Amino acid sequence: MTKRPRFGLYALVILSVVISFLPIIWLILTSLKTTEGIYAWPPQYLPDPFTLKNYIHIFTNSPELLLYVLNSFIVALGCTVVALSFGGMAGYALSRLGMRRAGVLMVFILAVSMFPPVSLLPSLFQNFLHLGLLNTYTGLIIAHTGLFLPFTVWMLASYFATLPPEIEEAARMDGMGFFRIFWSIVIPLSWPGFVATGLIVFIFSWNEFPLALVLMTQNAMRTAPVGISLYPGEYAFPWETISTATVIAIIPVLIITAIFQKQIVGGLTAGAGK
Amino acid sequence: MTSMTSPLDRRRHLTGLAFITPTMLVIIAILVYPILQSIVLSFGQSSIDGTAPYQFVGLKHYAALADNERFWNALWVTLIFTGLSIPLELAMGIGLAVLMNEHFRFKGIARLAVLFPWALPTALNTLMWRWMYNTDYGLFNAAALQSGLVDRPINWLGDETLAMGSMVVVAVWKTSSFMALIILAGLQSIPRDLYEAGRMDGMTRWQEFREITLPLLKGPILVALIVRSMDALRTFELPFNLTDGGPVTATESLSLYAYKVIFDFIEFNYGAAIVVVQFLVIFAMSLLYILTLRNKD
Repeated sequence: MTKRPRFGLYALVILSVVISFLPIIWLILTSLKTTEGIYAWPPQYLPDPFTLKNYIHIFTNSPELLLYVLNSFIVALGCTVVALSFGGMAGYALSRLGMRRAGVLMVFILAVSMFPPVSLLPSLFQNFLHLGLLNTYTGLIIAHTGLFLPFTVWMLASYFATLPPEIEEAARMDGMGFFRIFWSIVIPLSWPGFVATGLIVFIFSWNEFPLALVLMTQNAMRTAPVGISLYPGEYAFPWETISTATVIAIIPVLIITAIFQKQIVGGLTAGAGK
Repeated sequence: MTSMTSPLDRRRHLTGLAFITPTMLVIIAILVYPILQSIVLSFGQSSIDGTAPYQFVGLKHYAALADNERFWNALWVTLIFTGLSIPLELAMGIGLAVLMNEHFRFKGIARLAVLFPWALPTALNTLMWRWMYNTDYGLFNAAALQSGLVDRPINWLGDETLAMGSMVVVAVWKTSSFMALIILAGLQSIPRDLYEAGRMDGMTRWQEFREITLPLLKGPILVALIVRSMDALRTFELPFNLTDGGPVTATESLSLYAYKVIFDFIEFNYGAAIVVVQFLVIFAMSLLYILTLRNKD
């Protein structure tokens, strides 16, 4: 490689990083200010005085904001477990069990994954109302599983397709059944695929908005994005509380993304390149 | 056609069916049946709790939609939003991808920075931006006023044109990273010797980009464009949290309008007609997507 001027490159990188982080940094700074500091003129760029009062306030006075985070966690975890179980089996059937019209089924699954969530709302709301699934974890977990199963099936099917078939053939020679082969050979061999897919599905479910808004109508059942968005009263927006709650709600996603960025990027680009 | 005589084949076939059934049941219950039901609802009159019996009214709701200015406005807003944000996202995405493909130090942090806007909930991202846009206490007006660029605060979200622009900025900020990731994966699959050959021929950096990189990126770019267009056409929580569709209806997307009709105005069947129209627009896009992918192979 020939040497090229590096200064411009670094300037552009720093600019992109600053722009990416700016809203998050400003939000964190806001959450560390006093109420007077937030609404001060001239504006405070750095908290002065620095305070953890907003965080303490949430833990003592607004437990519902923590409940939203807990709800999000239960729903995202449930959705991830169900989607990986069902999607893993379906992906295996479509990539390895010689199903007839597997290609047509894959295209069908891709096509339904593009349905806009809002067009599901009137009937999902009505059906969930009749079935008593509104305001239940089960209900939203099923709904999110439906939304993200197509992605899961595609990801895992393409992962299984990369495994060498000889191992499964040898196991069959030894008289193992298909279910045992899937359970004790394919799943252990495919855990990187399950991890990448599971992380992305977890993030999708954590972030999903329209279904979580409509299917959880009780305040105590709301997920974090919905609960925080609807938290403010009618007129005034309590930014000190909102900013703090938002920081708390995005921390899990920030940690997951930071730790597993390689797997997430790999999974996303593989999924989108299909 | 393989015959199904051997017991092993039959077992394999039955296992396949058993393995795919749970997925198919969930997909049908959550995605396929509700769409069909929305179509049925859009041709009738009923109540959301099912107390009033369903009555077929034919095209009544669609005829009403054709005369509804607010519906046409929502459709227009959605198309403008999509048309403005997608080209900007593409330009930013290509730029970021080319940048991330270079060798430099602290690349991990840079990649993380690019990934964060995508990974966080759109609803909460939007709240962060709404706070920065805040007329009285927001970061933008604070900086603009203090530096003397303006002498009165700018009403970012209160002016029709500015509000649309502000919304596009949030979308571009959030999703350029997704574009960049897909394009970056494409970039990394371009063989290095192509560039070396180009350098031998004395190509400039720009010529390299235009004559080697771009043509080879056509596939990933097309995929990213179509996926993002479908996303933009159904944008919901962005206007919901940024402006609630305002001022008046200047940023009211089709999804947001449909939601309001169904759950705020409680016009259940009329709302179903709107979501069916939206479904058709997006379904046409997804067919285009699948056909494009077919042709690529």
